[in-house]
Amino acid sequence: MSIIAIPSMGSGGLNDEMSPRFGRCASFTFVEMENNEIKAVKTVPNPAANAMGGAGVQATQIIGNNGAEAIIVGFLGPNAASGLNALNIKIFQAPNKAITIKEVMNLYIEGKLQMITTSNVASHFGMGGVGRGMGGRGQGMGRGNQP
Amino acid sequence: MSSKKSKVICITGGKGGTGKTLCAVNLAVMFKNEGKKVLLIDGDVENPNTYLLLNGSLENKRDVPFFKPKIIESKCSKCGLCAQNCAPHALLYITDSFPIPILALCSGCQLCYKICPEEAIETDSKVIGWTYSTKVNGISLLIGELKPAEARSAAIVETLLEELDEIIKGDPDRFDVVILDTSPGAHCDVEALINKADLVIPVTEPTRFGKLDLIRIIELIELLNKDHRAIVNRSSLLGFRDEFLKDLKEKNIMILGDIPLDDDIVHSYCIGVPLMDGNSETDKNGKGYKAFKRIFENLIEWMETKEQGEGS
Repeated sequence: MSIIAIPSMGSGGLNDEMSPRFGRCASFTFVEMENNEIKAVKTVPNPAANAMGGAGVQATQIIGNNGAEAIIVGFLGPNAASGLNALNIKIFQAPNKAITIKEVMNLYIEGKLQMITTSNVASHFGMGGVGRGMGGRGQGMGRGNQP
Repeated sequence: MSSKKSKVICITGGKGGTGKTLCAVNLAVMFKNEGKKVLLIDGDVENPNTYLLLNGSLENKRDVPFFKPKIIESKCSKCGLCAQNCAPHALLYITDSFPIPILALCSGCQLCYKICPEEAIETDSKVIGWTYSTKVNGISLLIGELKPAEARSAAIVETLLEELDEIIKGDPDRFDVVILDTSPGAHCDVEALINKADLVIPVTEPTRFGKLDLIRIIELIELLNKDHRAIVNRSSLLGFRDEFLKDLKEKNIMILGDIPLDDDIVHSYCIGVPLMDGNSETDKNGKGYKAFKRIFENLIEWMETKEQGEGS
């Protein structure tokens, strides 16, 4: 059995859209897997969604406290990457497009997601409303090492 | 407060590249030429380069340490109190695990160390930069440098100001004039240096950027209740001088003077011999030389007026 965490746009769940933001996503969907099959789905709201700073670390705590052994991310900041690495949580890179939790889980099950070990954006990248949002900035996606 | 003996003058100015360091160095040289004992402090810790304009080098390197928490696992009860109270979220805590410091977020407040009920957090430190002191051509230099990729530049500036306090405490007569050179911007590093000054000189240029940033820095200077007089550098730039000076007058922004574009200034800048250095073979009738002379005279007059005002 293993648990995979996915940042989610809305309240989470397999039919929700994946959030490209990690520390400031609305909620996390935790998918419990057994023998490459989805066994259970749990959602947890992200209290750090609107945090001024340290959102990546707070979100990492939620991931760790819910027993996830891997996470699928769009954008990932440096502090979150340090935290996830310190907890030995594997990080997988989602494709740079709108995708549902179910679709990205299928890619994960098929082994089509790349594993990464470092951040792909700077701190505060995912903060809304201060002109540093997600719009049009896709740099760094898909970097990292093959698993 | 600094000693009454040494006057502290802060050279600042919002915008980058306006000539703050050029003015700081040449004012220091002119004070020295008058027989004053001068200390020049380079507080632009991300790009310290006053020593280059004086043709000096970085000497007497001292580490600037910064707190980092050290978790003593044999004492830690994994209660999570430290992480719950860490305002910048620099401690990653998973239930029933040891807290993990994320040092990039640590503000150095030491709260974790102070509140740990098991005394399981010790104070450790990392080097985030350095200070240097040297003497070039009769001018004492104190320089701060932030280690590349470190974020806490304010801690380096704080160290410089502590070193200044110690110098003044040790011997109030050691310097007649202390000149503080700041980085661009209106952030906490600049604020700390302005706050230490008796007089503040923002350096600007006759461009729209220059004006905007000058207004911003004056807002900060006035918030700190400091007296200021601006210098308009490169004033002959594309013929905007008169309009710019008129605009400053309308806004009640007082100036010490303006410095026109001048090849001698550029040459002195490139060879690392300050224009106003008595030993340089500069044309003493040159535009730049005369402009600096006038600015210095106005500065002395301003300082005397202020002193009389304080005396009465």
